[in-house]
Amino acid sequence: MDYAGSEPASAAVADPAMAIKILVAGGFGVGKTTMVGTISEIRPLHTEEVLSERGVGVDDVSGVEAKTTTTVALDFGRITIREGLWLYLFGTPGQDRFWFMWDELAQGALGAVVLADTRRLQDCFPAVDYFEQLGLPFVVAVNCFDGARRHDPVTVRRALGLDGVAPILLCDVRERDSVKEVLTSLVTYSVGGAFPAG
Amino acid sequence: MTGDDPGPLIRLYGLTGGRARPAGESFDLVAIVTAVVTAAGAPAEPAGLVPEHLAALALCRRPTPVADVAAYLGLPLNVTRVLLGDLRREGLVTIDRPRPAAQTIDEGIYREVLHGLRRL
Ligand SMILES: Nc1nc2c(ncn2[C@@H]2O[C@H](COP(=O)(O)OP(=O)(O)OP(=O)(O)O)[C@@H](O)[C@H]2O)c(=O)[nH]1
Ligand SMILES: [Mg+2]
Repeated sequence: MDYAGSEPASAAVADPAMAIKILVAGGFGVGKTTMVGTISEIRPLHTEEVLSERGVGVDDVSGVEAKTTTTVALDFGRITIREGLWLYLFGTPGQDRFWFMWDELAQGALGAVVLADTRRLQDCFPAVDYFEQLGLPFVVAVNCFDGARRHDPVTVRRALGLDGVAPILLCDVRERDSVKEVLTSLVTYSVGGAFPAG
Repeated sequence: MTGDDPGPLIRLYGLTGGRARPAGESFDLVAIVTAVVTAAGAPAEPAGLVPEHLAALALCRRPTPVADVAAYLGLPLNVTRVLLGDLRREGLVTIDRPRPAAQTIDEGIYREVLHGLRRL
């Protein structure tokens, strides 16, 4: 194989540091924060972000900005693949009024995990619609809460009106192996198509 | 920087002078930030930097994503971004231009990521 990594002497030039973004979206209380926490090697950071509302005083530095800002909770975690190559998981705010935050998070992202709860599947519709419109690859991960009816992926696909391409997986966001499987599916689905299988 | 800070919001407001957006060209939450070092060494630090600026600068001697700087400083991402924008304006760091994942992930990176995930 002819990877950049096989040439240590020129690694710094051939292999600039890179951080890859993955979004974790879904309805209220579906397990986004739990998923990030299960796989992150750092304690997931839960931040209260101060935002300028879109189109209102974004460039206003006159000191009245407090009137046009709002806060939003965002969490993120990190997976180090090696020095200089990281995956970042961002748990995206669920409320519709924070779409503009999604726009920024989604830009340049590798893809998204849409978490779904079969007891209220409709909660993930906005996320599915959003990523479809944006053309950002996503997988749907059905978080199997204890006692929840276990929908099979075919039923979920039909209920979501998905075209049959985006992978649908059942998962338990508290289980590391399960989250790993979701992420590898996303990576394969999102960029693997360009490369030979293996 | 911790939860028992008496006035975290006021403190954060002070750090950024109330700014929600960094100076200059926008950059991503995972853009790579690198402290500038030339043959002559690091540029002189201008006056007016707060300890958080200096901590970020020290961290970025190693190329570091914006999100990691935030985690390290224990500050919100947007506040961190404003501070990093200040450092860039002073010529103390460079910050990567945004590049879509689809364009930057070649086969080697793709396989590294897959293998890395499986071995977790
Ligand atoms: N039994 C069970 N509980 C879960 C599972 N996943 C998450 N939970 C619990 O469900 C609650 C919500 O999970 P979170 O991870 O906070 O969900 P979230 O999507 O981040 O929620 P918001 O940020 O409020 O929208 C928490 O109390 C979790 O412990 C699961 O698979 N099974
Ligand atoms: Mg949450």
